[in-house]
Amino acid sequence: MSDDMGVIVKTMARATIPLIGIFGAYVVSHGHLTPGGGFQGGATIAGAGVLFLIAFGLSEMKKRYDKHLYSALEGVGGLVFLGAAMLGLGTAFFYNTLWHNGPVFNGDPGTLLSAGYLPIMNLAVGLKVFTGLVSAMVGIALYRRWKS
Amino acid sequence: MNGEAILPYLIIIPLFGAFAMPIVSLAGKKAREAWAVIISALTLVVASAVFYHVWKTKEIIVYTLGAKTPFGQGVGFPIRIVWEVDLFGAIMVLTVAFVSLMAVLYSLGYMKHDTGLEKYYTLILILELGMLGIAITGDLFNFYVFLEIMSIASYALVAFRNDTWEGIEAGVKYMFVGSIAGSFILLGIALLYGQYGTLTMGYIAVKIAENPTVTAKVALALFIAGLLFKSGASPVHMWLADAHPAAPSSISAMLSGLVIKVGGIYAMARILFSIYSPMAHSIVLKAYLQPYINMSAIGWLIIIFASLTLIIGNAMAVIQTDMKRLLAYSSVGQIGYILLGLGIGLAAYGTQTGEVALAGAIYHTVNHAIMKALLFLVAGVVIHEVGTRNLNELSGLAKTMPKTTFAFLIGAAAIVGLPPLNGFASKWLIYESSAVFNPVLGAIAIIGTAFCTAAYVRVLYTFFGRPSERVANARDPETSMMLPMLLLVLAIVIMGLLPWQISDKVMIPTARMLEQFKFEYINALMSLAGGA
Amino acid sequence: MIPFQFITAFLMMAIGIYAFLYKRNLIKLILALNIIDSGIHLLLVSLGYRMELNEPPTAPIYTGYETLKSAMVGPLPQALVLTSIVIGVCVLALAMALTINAYRHYGTLDVRALRRLRG
Repeated sequence: MSDDMGVIVKTMARATIPLIGIFGAYVVSHGHLTPGGGFQGGATIAGAGVLFLIAFGLSEMKKRYDKHLYSALEGVGGLVFLGAAMLGLGTAFFYNTLWHNGPVFNGDPGTLLSAGYLPIMNLAVGLKVFTGLVSAMVGIALYRRWKS
Repeated sequence: MNGEAILPYLIIIPLFGAFAMPIVSLAGKKAREAWAVIISALTLVVASAVFYHVWKTKEIIVYTLGAKTPFGQGVGFPIRIVWEVDLFGAIMVLTVAFVSLMAVLYSLGYMKHDTGLEKYYTLILILELGMLGIAITGDLFNFYVFLEIMSIASYALVAFRNDTWEGIEAGVKYMFVGSIAGSFILLGIALLYGQYGTLTMGYIAVKIAENPTVTAKVALALFIAGLLFKSGASPVHMWLADAHPAAPSSISAMLSGLVIKVGGIYAMARILFSIYSPMAHSIVLKAYLQPYINMSAIGWLIIIFASLTLIIGNAMAVIQTDMKRLLAYSSVGQIGYILLGLGIGLAAYGTQTGEVALAGAIYHTVNHAIMKALLFLVAGVVIHEVGTRNLNELSGLAKTMPKTTFAFLIGAAAIVGLPPLNGFASKWLIYESSAVFNPVLGAIAIIGTAFCTAAYVRVLYTFFGRPSERVANARDPETSMMLPMLLLVLAIVIMGLLPWQISDKVMIPTARMLEQFKFEYINALMSLAGGA
Repeated sequence: MIPFQFITAFLMMAIGIYAFLYKRNLIKLILALNIIDSGIHLLLVSLGYRMELNEPPTAPIYTGYETLKSAMVGPLPQALVLTSIVIGVCVLALAMALTINAYRHYGTLDVRALRRLRG
């Protein structure tokens, strides 16, 4: 028995997964301007991963999913977040030195390159949440194989 | 060394270690283990420096996240997250870092045959991070976040060996109880925020003293309920007796030694003494006939729970046949002593008795962390070598595992409270103050110790009995497991040789700093106003 | 007068506690935990709602706030709720993993079966 979901669902999934991914990337990168941010956008992108898992089945997912890569990326996300927080350690932990002193991230409020470390942190958190949620989903999906 | 400058490294180092663990573990098993040891050793160094600074200067460190002062521009109240470390927090930081390093060292040998170890070491570092965060934070919601980080890591670690039904069942029970307790605490925080509009502990204390409403009392009830759950006090201690034996022994040592202390006792002391400042309520407001919260009644409430916990925990320990379960029930009993000291410190606030009781409670928190960590590590060695925890099958271990038995003897003597070891001084402070405060409580404390002695004598009797076949092939473990046990024994003996010096130089100042007769905790925060 | 959203929040907590005490299925217990948490989140987020100048408040977006006529809702409770939701997601994922493991070992989701640890 194959564990994918038939041609209609698969076609729809092929069409929507890129859109979901783009929308998630938008939410992450505009996190400091509009509602949303790293966690919400990352969860949205992970939604694309979940849709892939459901539509194409676990066996297809296993081919695309590399455990070591995902856990390493999750670590990278966390490290980037920590590094952004440590940039202003001369004044205080989490001090937004990029916003106060530049170089690039101190544009006018409302533009993409403003708000100091916030865009960097949003990207890092987005990466971490996406990889973490996909890993958790795959882990839970793998669990149910104990009988077959 | 400057305390403010090194404080953030207490969080940065374990966080960095945990995040980098998946990347480091790509380099192999040895790199992973070395990384875990290095990170926890560095944390211990920073923790010692923080403790030394606070102890030397006797001043509360206030550290603001994200700016120079916690006050916003043009507003007279703190709007940023602050960390406040007083001496009690610094002592907990030191204890946490020390016992965590011991647990990590011990894991090198003990967990050698398990799989998924990069997750194990990541979780252990996150557990340590959560506890350090609780000990240093001065912001209520930050406290909740660190509490949940600690709790989630400990749920996962209890159920780490998911191929056994025991770990899973204990993990499920622990998780449900812990989540309910966490919800209580979050509801309390939400109520306080809704009523007073701030989350900084020192400023909430000011606001509550200005206007003690019913909401504040309800929130206090929710905090106490949630934290009694987390510390394993008596009517709700069942999860503890299941979860602590089911975890791997290095984790049991951290859970019993640290998690119930930091997440239960320390948090309760912080909320009772720093947020609901008894100086303001029991003395100042009462004297001026203003509305106040009756903190000595709260103290009596805690004393009642403590007496129950003390008797039930120690009595249940006597009848156990499972070695780790016995130790877990003994933990419940010792939590009873600490709660008793805390309750007397609150009920007899402002007197010499209260101060001695509080110092005894703090001293016993530290002592019990070290003793119970040692005992659980010994139990882990026994499981590792013999393969069973049933006391009926373990007779005669003293012949084949002399060093392990010696370590157990030291730990058991210390926890019972024999004079040359560290447990004596702290228990003595608690007995003395409870007998002065109310003779009935002194009698209850002594009865608890009688049960405790019976339980440990029974184990020792088994160890020194006739050797059974099961233990014939057991021998003392390898160095990486022996070393942490030896270090803990050393700590017990050294602290036992200087009991009154430690009590006078460290514990009494800590109790005084926690009681804050001059509102030190609030002043340390509010004195920064206007500096923006 | 107590605002209706507070009543709803406490009602949700009460429903969650009822389910937690009287249901026996592990999945339902996890749902009960989430309902309690949602009630608290509703309470927290409604604390930030404030009417000023008889205009309902808007979302706390700072782009173009000069042209706003009404007040903004308090952003701090929203940040708190967001953090709390993330924590809730972690607990939920862990609870589900534990539940699957429990089903593997016990063959049932009834919590009354999880009673082998005794004494």
